[in-house]
Amino acid sequence: MERKRADKIIIGAGLYGLYAALFCCRRGESVVVLECEDAPFTRATYINQARVHNGYHYPRSLSTAMKSAGYFRRFNEDYGFCVNRAFDQIYATSSRYSWTDRAQFKAFCRAAGIPCEELVPGAYFKDGLCDGAFRTTEYTYDAKMLLAFFMEELGHFKNSCDIRYGFRISDIRKDGRRYVVSSGDGQSFEAGFVLNAAYAGTNQILAMAGFEPFKIKYELCEIILCDAGEALRDVGFTVMDGPFFSIMPFGKTGFHSLTAVAFTPHTACKGPVPVFPCQEKTGGRCSETFLANCNACPERPESAYPYMSSLAHKYLLDKYNFSYRQSLYSMKPILLSSEIDDSRPTVIRLFGKDPTFAAVLSGKINTVYDLDEVLSDG
Amino acid sequence: MAENFDKKSFDEKNFDKEKNFDKEKNFVSAVIYVHNAKERIGAFLSRVREVLEKNFEHAEIICVNDASDDGSADAIRACSRCAGNVGITLVTMSFFHGLELAMTAGVDLAIGDFVFEFDHAVMDYSPDTIMAVYRRALEGYDVVSASPDKKEKLSSRIFYRVFDRFSDYSYGMATESFRILSRRAINRVSSMNETILYRKALYAHCGLPIDTQKYEPVRPEGEAGGSSGRASDKRERAYRSGLAVDSLIVFTKIGYRFSMMMTVGMMLISIFVLGYTVITYLTAHPVEGWTTTVLFLAVSFFGLFGILTVIVKYLQLLIDMVFKRKHYSFENIEKLTK
Repeated sequence: MERKRADKIIIGAGLYGLYAALFCCRRGESVVVLECEDAPFTRATYINQARVHNGYHYPRSLSTAMKSAGYFRRFNEDYGFCVNRAFDQIYATSSRYSWTDRAQFKAFCRAAGIPCEELVPGAYFKDGLCDGAFRTTEYTYDAKMLLAFFMEELGHFKNSCDIRYGFRISDIRKDGRRYVVSSGDGQSFEAGFVLNAAYAGTNQILAMAGFEPFKIKYELCEIILCDAGEALRDVGFTVMDGPFFSIMPFGKTGFHSLTAVAFTPHTACKGPVPVFPCQEKTGGRCSETFLANCNACPERPESAYPYMSSLAHKYLLDKYNFSYRQSLYSMKPILLSSEIDDSRPTVIRLFGKDPTFAAVLSGKINTVYDLDEVLSDG
Repeated sequence: MAENFDKKSFDEKNFDKEKNFDKEKNFVSAVIYVHNAKERIGAFLSRVREVLEKNFEHAEIICVNDASDDGSADAIRACSRCAGNVGITLVTMSFFHGLELAMTAGVDLAIGDFVFEFDHAVMDYSPDTIMAVYRRALEGYDVVSASPDKKEKLSSRIFYRVFDRFSDYSYGMATESFRILSRRAINRVSSMNETILYRKALYAHCGLPIDTQKYEPVRPEGEAGGSSGRASDKRERAYRSGLAVDSLIVFTKIGYRFSMMMTVGMMLISIFVLGYTVITYLTAHPVEGWTTTVLFLAVSFFGLFGILTVIVKYLQLLIDMVFKRKHYSFENIEKLTK
């Protein structure tokens, strides 16, 4: 029975996992990355709006906004090669049903110190539907280019970085000053530091280690990739702040991603572990103890494109046309504390020191730097 | 690895392959006004849903719960569990707003190309009427209303009669159960007015082609006495009579005409009394004059009060429309199904 030793074990090969791996390798540590999928970046890192947040998205949570804005610059410097900057990102406030209006959004941008240039809503939106429109500085990233970068960089550390794909963790236990993480087929790794970066699967990992779960709810989300028409090609729209939508370039793929607050989450589960009716049909492949990949699942829900596109067309001028290309599905955990102010804090929890067990949960790509502190400490 | 990645995610799903060739391609929304309709809403919602699911590829239903306190919301939630491909959303108003504002709130949320407005949850028509109204709209009418082909209530008759008599524009309005609006009509009406006091009147003079479909009223299933359930709520009744008065003031010239009449009458009386006083003075029986003075005072004060009432009403309406409840306020939006 193989029992390899490393300085750190990282669970999950999404952006947070690979960032942590590279960070540690560069510090001269040896790491093992355990990933249940056959490839990295197959779930939430790839399947999301790809927004490199600059804070605009959180007009009711100045703390989240300022944190995003703070990391925005750093992310663009470090990973500028995968960032699509070549489009106008238009934020607008809906005249009806928005929690934030034009004046409030402006005041918020000023408070957060992020640029916003006011535009005429009628130039983009149908009459009366938006009371404010703003040109903002916000970009989208390309997950595949980002992945290529990480794989290349990690390739320089062949001896100290070991990534195991298809690794299904079945047991995590403490053995003296180390944690031992084992798979069902008898492979084990041990280290004095474990980072749980499993995102949607985080509570299942915590349960195995015997720690208290995050208080989260789960949403099965659909991102739709669209072919943008001529007028839309170099523009992104985000209508705030309520049951609205956004459509914007999806990294450098040439597609636009379409999402809508009311239609992107298909089903939700309020419990600490994900229980969904569709799991019954998977024959045990997906359960509350192990979430399979929704995007590859035959039981994934039918697309909500008719709803999302109708909503977008209701707002956008008719010249902004687009057509359906494909749907991407992924499971999204949402911290329950963030319902009221819609904040998206990055939560890092430490479960004991020496051996150290840390868990990270974040819904944003550019707050990955929050990991630095906990990684340097361990 | 990268190829594998591609293949897995870029899996096509084609909408046109669905077996819905005979279904309508337009996206329709149905907004249902719900106020203390626990008994009726379940059956009503199922009927509407069945019609939409049968005839449309994609549709949504928005139930506007106008601060019901009888558990209507639970009835809606229970009913939405059996929904198929029609999305059901429940908007709960923070406090009682009345039909007009609550319906506006629902229509604002709707995303359909066509939007049905169901003013009450009583289906005294056959479900086919819904599709008949939709098809009529497709023929080129931006607003098509469904109106029961029966004798209207006396109060309604008086209201519509007075409305037509005192307005410049011939509205030709009648009691309606539901209507369909095109997106064009919705946009037109919302750009015309910031506050919508009485939608029916606005639709009627929005300048787009409109039509009314008469239907043979049938007794709603599971209900004993015709449309007795309708507007039986005390608050709703009070709201409706208040709305009638407000609408007459805003959309007709009844207030102006009344004050005009009073003014002219008073002027005539004052001229007459003036002449009379002069004559009495000349014929030198001044003591007797007090009768006419009192008469004059009585009449003019009556008229003044009449005018004052109208002015006060106008002012109150202006305040209502400009300052008070500029928008509706909703408590939450619940997406019950997709």
